[in-house]
Amino acid sequence: MQGVNGSISLHFESNGRGSTILTDQQQRPPLQVIRAFDTGDGAALVHLHNVSGGVLAGDHLETTVTVGPGARARVTSTSSTRVYRHQESRGDAKIINTATIAANGILEWLPDSLIPYAGSRCEQTTVVTMDTGSGLFWWEIVGPGRTAHNEVFQYERLRLNFDVFTPDALIFQERICLEPALRPLSEPARLGPYRYFCSFVVAKVGEDARTWLDLESRLHEQTREWSLGDASWGVSTLPAHGLILRGLGVNARDLLPGLQAYWQTAKRALYGIDAIVPRKVY
Amino acid sequence: MLVFRTHMRTTTPTNTTMCTDPMPLLQLLQLADSAVPIGSAAHSFGLETLVQDGLSVDELTLWFTGYLAEAGRLDAAAARTAHRSAFLADTEFIQQWINLNQKLSALKSGRESRNASTTLGRRFLSLAAALAAEDLRLRQASVAARQPGGVTHHCVAFGLVAARLGIAEETAAAVYLQQSIMGLVSACQRLMPLGQQQASGILWALKKPIVEAAQSANIDEAAPFLPTLDLAAMRHPYLSTRLFIS
Repeated sequence: MQGVNGSISLHFESNGRGSTILTDQQQRPPLQVIRAFDTGDGAALVHLHNVSGGVLAGDHLETTVTVGPGARARVTSTSSTRVYRHQESRGDAKIINTATIAANGILEWLPDSLIPYAGSRCEQTTVVTMDTGSGLFWWEIVGPGRTAHNEVFQYERLRLNFDVFTPDALIFQERICLEPALRPLSEPARLGPYRYFCSFVVAKVGEDARTWLDLESRLHEQTREWSLGDASWGVSTLPAHGLILRGLGVNARDLLPGLQAYWQTAKRALYGIDAIVPRKVY
Repeated sequence: MLVFRTHMRTTTPTNTTMCTDPMPLLQLLQLADSAVPIGSAAHSFGLETLVQDGLSVDELTLWFTGYLAEAGRLDAAAARTAHRSAFLADTEFIQQWINLNQKLSALKSGRESRNASTTLGRRFLSLAAALAAEDLRLRQASVAARQPGGVTHHCVAFGLVAARLGIAEETAAAVYLQQSIMGLVSACQRLMPLGQQQASGILWALKKPIVEAAQSANIDEAAPFLPTLDLAAMRHPYLSTRLFIS
């Protein structure tokens, strides 16, 4: 028995009157979006839902998002993405996210955490292609497993691939392959005392290097405030057009408030408007 | 002036075809020495922050072992990829050279460490191209590095130069890692109560992890995960007191 091939394709367009609408939506279970919400700031908000409750062994789940010229899309999830135990009769679970942002469009991808359960095997591949003037806010939080069941780093393998392309260059690439049994994550060169990690890519094609250095400096001051507890943060400009924030935390609650604070700062700096937290209970 | 013997080679050297002439090895030893004038002693690649955060001497061997298994494998794979490109046709070489360096820039998320890698790479390539003035491939790479947006990472330049010297691919990667680790351990000696004998012991113990990391040949399979060092490198520009540029 194989896993399921689920897919969802979402296309966002500007309506020309300052709002964004979800114009095209094709979905194959277990991935589902019910409707898009007008957030009042020109964006359309959708909640990605996996109706099967998680990613099972052998599942192949593909999400495609296209943001039209000048449109603003905000995508979140209804809950954490749970990756279930691997089964020998099935292949590794695969999650593929593809996003294309047209000129002056904005995509905000703000999901809950990814939780790889004990014995799971999963590969997530994300490719974002940005056009001139487009903007991206994309975070990813990865947990150690079901901590309530004392499952910490008991998954077999987690691969994370992430590429961000702009018209002139590849500006960000991440290749992570975690196999805790082979390369212990609690060693000092890897996570050390931390259990959760996250990345937050902020990009806007065309902003100059000075803008990014200034924003890096401002966000660095903010990371110092958020690094006082059981979390540690860093921020750095990318080779061009953006910056990356990385965070480590002992507990799940250590990272999300910081991410929201950085998102707010970056959104105001780059667009002069507030970041509106997706409507749901955190 | 030193003259590279690369004009005699027409193919990529492998472990089995490696020449026994000591001259290439001597030349590589000079270029891999910490005294090579490219400024590598001024960089800690984030280690300075980690030491300020409390990394201890007792943890160093384990820390470097993890470093080699992650960042070391990436740098080795990049050096080996550059090595294999050394004898490609001109157009193919230039395209691979640009793509490889761009990929490394995208993978290295800490600004200072990324800039350190490209600064050392540019100087290293420039020095090698000057020493081997007749080597057209090195000159070609040097010109590509000076184009707008063009960068050269140290490991990439090292792999290319080693290939032109006739050094085998895996050996070149191991030597690159060896000189890189020697530089980092040397940085630790300036940052921590780490004596010369203890430092030599750490370097000796890291030979096996270096050899293992140097076996990494495919840049597309390298997947470095060093978040604590990434964060340390990101915070380094903002340290109030520091000895190192990165």
